[in-house]
Amino acid sequence: MKKGQINNNIRTLRFFRNEMTQEQLADQVGVTRQTIIAMEKGKYSPSLELAFRIALVFEVPLEQVFSFVLEGDQSA
Amino acid sequence: MSFQEKNVAISLANFTLIFVFYLIRLFQLISSGTFTAEHVFWLWGIVVALATIGTIALTIFTHFAASVALTMRSGQERGVSGIQDERDTLIDLRGTSIAYRLSSIGVALAMLTLVLGQPPLVMFSLLICSGILAQIVADISRLYLYRRGF
Repeated sequence: MKKGQINNNIRTLRFFRNEMTQEQLADQVGVTRQTIIAMEKGKYSPSLELAFRIALVFEVPLEQVFSFVLEGDQSA
Repeated sequence: MSFQEKNVAISLANFTLIFVFYLIRLFQLISSGTFTAEHVFWLWGIVVALATIGTIALTIFTHFAASVALTMRSGQERGVSGIQDERDTLIDLRGTSIAYRLSSIGVALAMLTLVLGQPPLVMFSLLICSGILAQIVADISRLYLYRRGF
């Protein structure tokens, strides 16, 4: 089975959301700032619940925040 | 470094010190020819007491320090429960899983010494040695997971 990677646009979405800070996002979704940092760096893939919570905060569909890419594939 | 990482680092330092103390005392017992049940069980007691009391004291201290720091920074009272989230829990569980595997190998090796005709004291020494080593490796793996991600 090919390996996959979950990418996200959290940093961009934060910027367009009145330059929301990592701390503010962390408080709204109920995690620590370190977890937001890890997600933005691609070092942590969140649970499905956390992913939905983040999408809810930005008021966008889940696919607009997260994308899944298989190793070797160019598009998700 | 986050609160959880500091907690793990403190635990690692604590168990490393206990392990070094244990090894030094064990080699002293062997070299002085006093590797007897009385001395080994005394050492066992000291190590278990140090690990238990040290862990409790350090946990209380780090939770207290974190609560004070968070309250000062945010201006409102925040419990330590809010500091740990799903990522911390996952890393903690992975570390615990590694510790259990290493402990199991340690127990198997300790039993093997009995089968090979070694005295029970060797088995007891190996048991506690593998227990502390498992904790140290688990803490190192937790720190590694915090740094590298998963």
